[in-house]
Amino acid sequence: MRIQRSVSRAKVLVASFAALAAIGLCALWLYLHHPHQGMPYRDAFALGKADEWEAFGGTWVVHDGGIRNDSDERGAKLLTGSSYWSNYVLEADVRLLGEDGDAGLIIRGNDAEQGVDSYSGYYAGLRTRDNGLTLGLADHGWQELKNVRMPEAVQAFRWYRLKVLAYDCHIAVSASDRSHREGGATIAVDNEHCLTSGRVGLRSYSSGGEWRDVRVRQATEADVESMLAKAAEQKLDKAVSGNTDVLLGSGSLPSHVNLEPRPPNTTTQGISSLRLIPSSHPVHATIRGIVTLTSPLLYVQDSTGGAAVVTDQAAPPLKVGDEVRVSGRVEARDFNSVIHDASIQLLWARAPIPPVSVTPSQAATGAFAAMFIEVEGVLSSKERGPQNTLELKIEAGQQSFRAVVRDDRGDQLFPKLKPGSLLRLRGISVVDSEYTHDLTPFVLLMRSSDDIDVASVPPWWNARHIAAIGFLALLLAFIAYLIYSRLERWRSQAILEERELLAHEMHDTLAQSFAGLGFQLEAIRNRIPESMPTILQQLDQACGLVRHNHRETRRNIMMLRAESSQAIDLAPMLEHCALQLVEGGTVAIEVSQIGAPRYIPLRISDTLFRIGQEALANSVRHAQPSKIRISVAYADGSVRLMIQDDGNGYDKSSENRGFGVKGMRRRAAAISAVLEIETAPAEGTRVIVTVPLPPRLTLNTWTGYIWKRLHGGDLNGQARTKSYSHLDR
Amino acid sequence: MAKREQKAIRILIVDDHPVVQAGLTSMLMTHSSVEVVGAASNGKEALAMVRQHMPDVMLLDLRMSGMTGIEVLHALREMKVTTRAIVLTSFETDENIYRAFEAGALGYLLKDTSQRLMMEAIATVHTGRRYIPSEIAARLAERMMRSSLTAREQHILQMLAKGLTNKQIGCALSISDNTVRNHLNSIMEKLEVADRTEAVTVGLQQGIIQLPQ
Repeated sequence: MRIQRSVSRAKVLVASFAALAAIGLCALWLYLHHPHQGMPYRDAFALGKADEWEAFGGTWVVHDGGIRNDSDERGAKLLTGSSYWSNYVLEADVRLLGEDGDAGLIIRGNDAEQGVDSYSGYYAGLRTRDNGLTLGLADHGWQELKNVRMPEAVQAFRWYRLKVLAYDCHIAVSASDRSHREGGATIAVDNEHCLTSGRVGLRSYSSGGEWRDVRVRQATEADVESMLAKAAEQKLDKAVSGNTDVLLGSGSLPSHVNLEPRPPNTTTQGISSLRLIPSSHPVHATIRGIVTLTSPLLYVQDSTGGAAVVTDQAAPPLKVGDEVRVSGRVEARDFNSVIHDASIQLLWARAPIPPVSVTPSQAATGAFAAMFIEVEGVLSSKERGPQNTLELKIEAGQQSFRAVVRDDRGDQLFPKLKPGSLLRLRGISVVDSEYTHDLTPFVLLMRSSDDIDVASVPPWWNARHIAAIGFLALLLAFIAYLIYSRLERWRSQAILEERELLAHEMHDTLAQSFAGLGFQLEAIRNRIPESMPTILQQLDQACGLVRHNHRETRRNIMMLRAESSQAIDLAPMLEHCALQLVEGGTVAIEVSQIGAPRYIPLRISDTLFRIGQEALANSVRHAQPSKIRISVAYADGSVRLMIQDDGNGYDKSSENRGFGVKGMRRRAAAISAVLEIETAPAEGTRVIVTVPLPPRLTLNTWTGYIWKRLHGGDLNGQARTKSYSHLDR
Repeated sequence: MAKREQKAIRILIVDDHPVVQAGLTSMLMTHSSVEVVGAASNGKEALAMVRQHMPDVMLLDLRMSGMTGIEVLHALREMKVTTRAIVLTSFETDENIYRAFEAGALGYLLKDTSQRLMMEAIATVHTGRRYIPSEIAARLAERMMRSSLTAREQHILQMLAKGLTNKQIGCALSISDNTVRNHLNSIMEKLEVADRTEAVTVGLQQGIIQLPQ
């Protein structure tokens, strides 16, 4: 009973643990999927941090308390937040860094990929081309929902405050000039079948852009109403002015951008031709190219090659992808040229040029010096370099090189990069010794941490992992064994309790009935006169039978209660039994054991003991031996028990008359054992039982055997206390 | 023989099994040398009948519901009556035999004992001598060979039952704590128990010590 209770207690424990774990997981899931989780949000650009943002294209750097996309890439995106955010207001200051493009904010954005409209979400942005505030739905395609004109022309390098709201299917946006609080434009739409939730993001198209003071908070009814009111008010204004034409204008450019006149092509030359200039005397030259890198050094590239540009002028806010004209003094180096004292003219914004895919060996030749390239290699080590840079040491075949990137947005990536990973890197290949320190053939200057792609993570089978897995496997095996042995113990305890119960039951019914019956028969016998010898004889026989059965029952009971029978010590148990039978007489008992004792299933050891007991009893009672030999032999697939005496023996033809031999045969058959009895009158008797056993090296028997070997002392101790407590009952 | 017939041995049967009770009664009634004065089916009833009939010999089963045979024996000893007890049981564990004799039984018989031996046992015990069949004697000897508590150990166990600490016991017996601890270890080993509480419990159960008054 106690066993069942402890088993059910264990079950309850396991069940409650599982329930708790399930509840915990549910709570965690709900927490992570909650539409307000992480709100309100405020950026940390002022601290130089942008770890939580994820870039899809563009060249994003944290700059002066804001974040800037230095690239003219069309549709560069930077996203953050939870894709479960649903009703919220996103506000930010935005400015465009160039003409002929737009910049703005994304709400309810999901499934973002690199590409112009490769996301689903709402985008609200300011556009220079039509001086408009636009609101549209991107779903891997673009659908403009509404477009209004700003009161004044949209200008590059001017800060605007953009506020976008999503509440149920109300989407609204308002924009105002930071410097004039009044005015601005508002759009409110009711989008049917709207997107219901998504992340927030920054996006620019063609012009590059800069954002600061990004905030997200939960939206309320009041927000919706105020936005709707503003939009309605504006409609009225529009109606009064009656101006519905779309004004196309370019806005005014900042002073340093010289648009007029667009320079003729004649005065420029190819960048690769600069290297042909002899270095003996300084030469002045003008080139035209597209900016590939702005920091730490300005690099310009045209279709023939690339060059570094050094200028003393206050550097114009150039972006990657800007087309510029550079004039200055040329210094030709081994593999590339540097233009000193350059004056730079921004011509127009173009899309950034794609990298040239080369192997590290090709890059090491210097053929691609100062050019924007893409290479692959295996990360061998990483470290933080001077001036907030991250330096990666890359191995690729025989070549090794370093890749350098600014630290600002690499904070999140850096710890994740694992030595051994295969990386795909984009950047300017620089061979100048001031960067390479003559340690590596070239250094890759990357624009931002987005120029690092992890092509594949390191293989898992390094020495440490294998050791860890081995250890884990051992631990698991040990735990599994503990659980197994625990269950096994419970099981065998349950069996023992059941047997105890059975023994109790047998004692109270069978044994007592035999006892009573015996007394009753004796009483009858006492009253039969001596003149009726046949009846007397029959009664004597009946008494003998009852006594025999009583004895047998008692022995069964003792056997059932003998908890030690779970142990493998068959030989000592039989010896003990034999000694009791001979009661200190002159019969010599000789015990031998062949082979290592091994675990025998309870049922088999029980039966063997019973057969042995019976054989011993027969010997002692009927054979008058002077010596009895008990031998137990353990072999690989069987165990053999032999009881031999040097007594009278008997005629084999008469053996079937005895109960004992029949019983032994029946018992042997029950465990598929073979029972042989060799005897003849005056030649002693030999009883041999051979039982096949399950194969030895199953996990159970083997581990159990080892365990018993190791903890033999403990087990004995347990058995002792157990048998004691049993006696006490 | 003639003397015995004149005065039959008065016998009380204590067994909670009706078949045994009936069988035993029938059998004994066929003998003129004995007289069955009653049959009780539990300990309480048995003690009441002892008081009432003052039997010469009691045939006592060990396992009964309520009071066990051993407890009946203890009670019988305290009653200070002349009734002598023979344990008649199906059990033959050495511990039972040992405890029965310790509790004052004069004989120990198994229920499959032959009529002749049983009558012999009753006669022997009636005269105040012990009757121990050889197989029981062997078992008893085996049990006796196992160490029992020394006088000092018994004393310490008794003090333990009063709730004294090692230190207090040490003070009372003018020995050191360590010696007390050694004695305790030896006690626990002999009683095959794991701690002192269990030692006291087992000591009380086995009648090694009595509850402090």
